[in-house]
Amino acid sequence: MRRAQTFIGAGCLVLAVVMAAGAAQVHGEAGYAGVGPAFLPWVVSGAFLVFGVLLIAQDLRGRATATAPAPGEHRADWRAMAWVCAGLLLNAALIEHVGFVMSCALLFVVAARGFRLSMGLDAGVGRSARDAGVGLALSAPVYWMFTKGLGLTLPGLTANGWI
Amino acid sequence: MELWQSLLSGFAIAATPVNLMWAFVGCFIGTAVGVLPGIGPALTVAMLLPLTTQLPVTASMIMFAGIYYGAMYGGSTTSILLNTPGETGSMVTAMEGNLMAKNGRAGAALATAAIGSFVAGTIATVLVTLFAPYIAEWALKLGPPEYFALMLLAFTTVSAVLGASMLRGLVSLVLGLAIGLVGIDQISGTARYTLGVPELVDGIEVVLVAVGLFAVGEAMYSVMYEGRVRESENGMSSLWMTKSDWRRSWPAWLRGTALGFPFGTIPAGGTEIPTFLSYSAEKKLARDSSEFGTKGAIEGVAGPEAANNATVTAALVPLLTLGIPTSNTTAILLSAFQNYGIQPGPTLFQTSAALVWALIASLYIGNVMLLVLNLPLVGLWTKLLRVPRPALYAGILIFATVGVYGMRQSAFDLFLLFAIGLLGVVMRRFDFPTAPVIVGMILGPMAEAQMRNALSIGEGRWSVMIERPFSATVLAICVLLVLAPPLWRRFGPKGVLAGEAP
Repeated sequence: MRRAQTFIGAGCLVLAVVMAAGAAQVHGEAGYAGVGPAFLPWVVSGAFLVFGVLLIAQDLRGRATATAPAPGEHRADWRAMAWVCAGLLLNAALIEHVGFVMSCALLFVVAARGFRLSMGLDAGVGRSARDAGVGLALSAPVYWMFTKGLGLTLPGLTANGWI
Repeated sequence: MELWQSLLSGFAIAATPVNLMWAFVGCFIGTAVGVLPGIGPALTVAMLLPLTTQLPVTASMIMFAGIYYGAMYGGSTTSILLNTPGETGSMVTAMEGNLMAKNGRAGAALATAAIGSFVAGTIATVLVTLFAPYIAEWALKLGPPEYFALMLLAFTTVSAVLGASMLRGLVSLVLGLAIGLVGIDQISGTARYTLGVPELVDGIEVVLVAVGLFAVGEAMYSVMYEGRVRESENGMSSLWMTKSDWRRSWPAWLRGTALGFPFGTIPAGGTEIPTFLSYSAEKKLARDSSEFGTKGAIEGVAGPEAANNATVTAALVPLLTLGIPTSNTTAILLSAFQNYGIQPGPTLFQTSAALVWALIASLYIGNVMLLVLNLPLVGLWTKLLRVPRPALYAGILIFATVGVYGMRQSAFDLFLLFAIGLLGVVMRRFDFPTAPVIVGMILGPMAEAQMRNALSIGEGRWSVMIERPFSATVLAICVLLVLAPPLWRRFGPKGVLAGEAP
C-alpha cells in the first residue's frame, strides 16, 4: 500500500501545523513548574511533525509496513458506504426535529440498505418497508426503556413521550 | 484477617438482590456483545456510560465489570464457532478452536474455553484480592514524578510495544493526546483548541470517541470492505469433555493463568502477547504436537483462553490501585469512575473501600454466573450468530446514537461522531491501532497534570524525574522498550524476533 502512507504522513504534517497554530493561542502562567498550559500542545505538534516526516520517509524508501487487508477484501464499496453515511448524517440533522424514534428508524432503513447493497442482497422497496418495521420495533422500545425506565433525555416528536 | 473482613463485607454488598441483578445484567449483556462480531466490551460500556447519571455507583460498576469479562467468555464462543474472532483477545483461541470445531469437537472446545476462563478468572480474582490492597498501600508513597513515569510507561507499552509498527502506534497515541487537549486545562483553567465552539469547551467525551471509532467506524469499514466476506458457521457437538480432554486441559489452564496474570498487572495491557505466549508454550510442551494446526489441539484452546481471562482480570490491578488504564476497556471504566467524581488510585481503597470490595466480590460471583450462562445456555448464544449483518450493524448504529446523544443532548455530538467514524475507517484501513487513541486521550490530561505537578515540586527542573530511584527506573524501562527492538533487529541474532511474532 505505497503512497497511502505518504498521504497519512502529510495529514500528520497538517495536524502539526494546526496544533501549532492552536498552541500559539494558548496563554497561561507557567508558575513554579516552568511549563504552562501551552507546553503539551507544542510537544504534540512537534510529535506530529516528526512522525509525519518519518511516515513519509518510510514510504519513499519503500519500507512502508504492509497494511494487511481483511481476508477476502475487495475494492472499497463507495456506493454502499454513501448510504450508511447518509443515514448517519440524516439522523444527526433530524433527531431534534422528528424525534428519536422516527429519526433512528430512518437511520436503520438507510444503513441497512447500504449493507444489503454491499452484500449483493435484494435492496428493493419491499425490503426497505420491512426494515422500517424492524427499525421502529427496535428504536421505540429502546426509546421507552431509556427515557421512561432509566430517566435519560432523548428528543421526542410528541409531548406525551411515547413517540 | 483484615482482608477477609473486607472481602466479606464486599460480598454482603454484592450479594444483595439488586446488585446480583446488575451483575447478571452485566454478565448477560457482556456475553451477548462478546458473541456478536463487531462490538466489544469497550464500546458497550461506553454506550452505557450515560447510565452513570441515573444508577448508584456500586450498581453500575458491578454491571460494567460483568460486561468487561462477560465479553471475554462470549468472544471465545464466536471464535470457535465462526471463522472470525469475536474479540482480539480470542484471536489465538480461534486458530485451534476453529480447527477442533471443523473436526466435530466444537463442544469440547467451548467447554474447555468456558471452564478455563472460569478457573483463570477465579484464580486471578483471588490474586487481585490478595495483592491489590498491598500495591495500593505501596502506591500511596508515590509522588507526581513516579506517576508521570508510570503513565509514560503505559503510553510506551500501549503504543510502541503492542501492534505491528511502533511508528503507527505512536501516531495513534499522539492523536489521542491531541483529542485529550481539547477543552479547559485542568491546572490553569485556560481554554485550548476550542475554536470558539461552546460544545468543545467541555472537551471531547471519551464515549464519543470510543463509539465513533468502534461502532461507527466498524460499521463503515464493514460496509465498505467486507460486504463479500462470507462467514461459515461450524456445527455444534456435545459439550462433554472426555477424561483425556480434562487431563490435557487443566495444566494448560494453570499455565495460561500463570502467564496471563503478570502481563495484566504491569501497566502494559493487551492480551495479544500473553495469549500468544501461552499458545506457543502449549505447542512446545504438548506430548504430541501433530494436532496443532491440523485437527486442533485442546491445549491450544485451554491455555490461551485462560491467559486471556487472567490478563483481563489482572488489568484491574493497575486500574484500581494506580488509576492507570492499560486497555480500551479499562480506560472506559476509568472514565465511568470519573463520572461519579471518583478517581481510582491508591486512596480508592480507603475512600471508597465499600465500592472496591463490592466490585471484587462481584468478580467472584460474576465468574460463577458466566460459567452457567456459557455452558448450559450456549445454544442460546449461537442463535445470536445468525442475526443478519444489515440488521446487526444498523441496530448498533441506533445504540450508538443513544449512547452519544444521551450523554449531553447535543446534535453537534452526532456530527462529531460521524467524523470520528470516518477517522476510524481510515485508521482501520491503514492499520493504525485504536487502543493508543483511547488510552492517550484519557491518560493524557492526567499525565500532563502529574508532569506539571512534578515540575512544580522540582521548581522547574526536569531532573526531578530522574532524581527519585523509582521514577528513574521506570523511565529507563520506557527508553529500553522503545530502543531495544530496533537495535535488536539490527544487531541481534537473525530470526529470533521474527520467530516470536504472531
